[in-house]
Amino acid sequence: MVAATLEYAWLIPLYPIIAAAIVAFLGTRIKQGGAPLVLLGVAASFVHALLVFLQVIQGAGPHQVSWEWIVLTTHTISMGVLVDNLSSFLSLLVSFVAMLIVIYSWAYMSQEGTGRRRYYAEVGLFIGAMLGTVLADNLLLMFIFWEIMGLCSYLLIGYWFRKPSAAAASLKAFLVTRIGDVMLLIGIIILFLHFGTFDYRQIFSAAAAAAEAGTLETVPLVFAGIMIFGGAVGKSAQFPLHVWLPDAMEGPTTVSALIHAATMVKAGVFLIARSFPIFVHTPEVFLVVGAIGGFTAILAASMALVMNDIKRVLAYSTISQLGYMFLALGAGGILLVMTGSSLGYAIAIFHLMNHAVFKALLFLGAGSVGHAFHHAADPYDMRQMGGLHSKMKRTSITMLIGGLALAGIVPFSGFFSKDKVLAVTFDAGLHEPFLYAFWALGLIAAFMTAYYMFRMWFRVFAGTPRSKDAEHAHESPNLMTAPLIVLAGITLIGGLAFLVPWGSYGGMQAFLATDINNYAPGFVTVTAYTAARFLSDLFTSPLTYVSLAVAAGGIALAFNMHLRGRPDPAKVQARFTGLHRTLTQKWYLDHVTNGIASFFAIVVAGLSAIFDRYILDGFIGGTANGIRRLGGHVRTWQTGVVTTYAATIIVSIGLLLIALTFLFPYMGW
Amino acid sequence: MTDIPLYAVIMVSSTLFALGLLGIMLHASGIRLLMSVEMMLNSANINFVAFAGYWADPSGLVYVLFIIAIAAAEAAVGVAILMNLFRHKGTVNVQSVRAMRW
Repeated sequence: MVAATLEYAWLIPLYPIIAAAIVAFLGTRIKQGGAPLVLLGVAASFVHALLVFLQVIQGAGPHQVSWEWIVLTTHTISMGVLVDNLSSFLSLLVSFVAMLIVIYSWAYMSQEGTGRRRYYAEVGLFIGAMLGTVLADNLLLMFIFWEIMGLCSYLLIGYWFRKPSAAAASLKAFLVTRIGDVMLLIGIIILFLHFGTFDYRQIFSAAAAAAEAGTLETVPLVFAGIMIFGGAVGKSAQFPLHVWLPDAMEGPTTVSALIHAATMVKAGVFLIARSFPIFVHTPEVFLVVGAIGGFTAILAASMALVMNDIKRVLAYSTISQLGYMFLALGAGGILLVMTGSSLGYAIAIFHLMNHAVFKALLFLGAGSVGHAFHHAADPYDMRQMGGLHSKMKRTSITMLIGGLALAGIVPFSGFFSKDKVLAVTFDAGLHEPFLYAFWALGLIAAFMTAYYMFRMWFRVFAGTPRSKDAEHAHESPNLMTAPLIVLAGITLIGGLAFLVPWGSYGGMQAFLATDINNYAPGFVTVTAYTAARFLSDLFTSPLTYVSLAVAAGGIALAFNMHLRGRPDPAKVQARFTGLHRTLTQKWYLDHVTNGIASFFAIVVAGLSAIFDRYILDGFIGGTANGIRRLGGHVRTWQTGVVTTYAATIIVSIGLLLIALTFLFPYMGW
Repeated sequence: MTDIPLYAVIMVSSTLFALGLLGIMLHASGIRLLMSVEMMLNSANINFVAFAGYWADPSGLVYVLFIIAIAAAEAAVGVAILMNLFRHKGTVNVQSVRAMRW
């Protein structure tokens, strides 16, 4: 029975999708707009993923189940699932976090009336698509789920589509991620042309064999790798395609939590982790991944410093944290190629896990605050809040835990992963010196992270109420706070995940490194860290204390400025007006994007106009004129005189007879 | 019944056809034009019958029946047009009708 769950792992993405289909097409009779059914679907995925995971940590993976899908004369394209260590772990994580978010939605969306049916159908499809992306065994199937996810994000961000800003935000998300998707498709096609298959394992083994024989063509692979990373940049909102994520706040907060924590943006990180066995042959790609990630980490953190909307602060924080993950993947990839250590790769996934949990917690907490403020004009404006701690104890304390984890304070989960991201970057700097610069940027970003997170917490929960709504705020229902408490509990102990043994594996690092070892043998040469080694490394390295001090400094600054008013934030803002405006204007990147887009639009439109006016109109108008003039001549043949017609017929038939008799035989007819 | 040679029949039908053609070319009266057309159709009929006998194939005879039916219909339409023409113009001279032009 349990063993069969591995064989039927392809059902994991299907439960929520089936639930979503039932809710969408037959859902009027289900109570709560379909919430119970979608919850059941996601819970089924979770249970199934858990059973699969329990077997995989005993060494059951990699296990592939696939069917022939498109059979061509030269190629066969299959569809199926690949259950290996990475995908089984991520499907468990995704389904778990998504399940809590659906439970939370039950209460959060209860005021939405009939529109909830649309919400639950789209959420179910969204979660199913993410699970499909993670579990797919080939690039094509992965891309299909990837695109379904893009569609669902569009639909959910635009859930309140009657609001113009929500409609615009959904369109922006769709179009911006589309740029990345096209690049991803190009990358996939290049790999297909190169290896003749979409199947991950076949590509990995072909690449490994070619590298072994020294016949690997690196130029197309580097190009394909950068294109695939382009897809991840779009989906995971990295610079320069990060602009859609902050605007995605227009959707319901639960959707934001889903996008930021469990689905969508994590798909990009997953994609790079999944492609690791190809990228190890072309380390150039890792440089690009690390550089973009490191730069995004600090860019987004700087913008989060000045936002007044809780959700926007969290959105920039997500972009920044994803930047850390890509930095870890890039630096970790270089470390893997140079020294054979899989630490960076594992740390990136570890940070992904921790971030999924604490960012879900923070967003659901923000939703809980918004729920208390739902009468306010802008329920997420932190300038209207303050002093909520005494009124919303559960939300306040769980968000404090999430904030401490995000800031990287020991012993919360974020501390272990974030600190190690920086340590890995520093280690990789030995081989690629420019990574030292990204380590420094990452450290500054860590300071900013601690500051903006606690600026938010102090402004929302500490001090005195700054508006009537804040005075009358009250705690959200238990159905909403329960997921917060569960997530906070995991955030508290999440750091242990890296230390405890995983089934037959020594720990998370050994567990994840096994995949790379299977697909690209010979790269992982350093044995995974034991818990003792990990901890002693962590607590004897001076870098750890530097980043802890930096985080503590950020919190202290936030405390001084926003609780005690020394220095007064308003004065600081007045002092640095230019900088403040640059940050609130998001480094004018929206303007730059708009400028580039409108430049191209104007150029293309201008060229089209010229083509339309002179070439198309000239051609069509000329043809019409010519035919009209020809008609003017031809119609005079219509004399109205019957005898003329008769003569014409007779002469024509005569000519035809002559032609048939004499001319055609000569022409060989 | 003595065999009439094929060439003789073709001669007769060709002559009939040529006379009909000549009639169309030379006359202006609508009635005469109709009659000329009938002559040409019937010359074709003669050919059909002759060749049907020559090849001992009855399908030619079937065509003759079709042509007779169509010729009758055509004549009816033609006469109807001419009667209307006569009502309006008091003549059946087709050269008097020049309004149906560009």
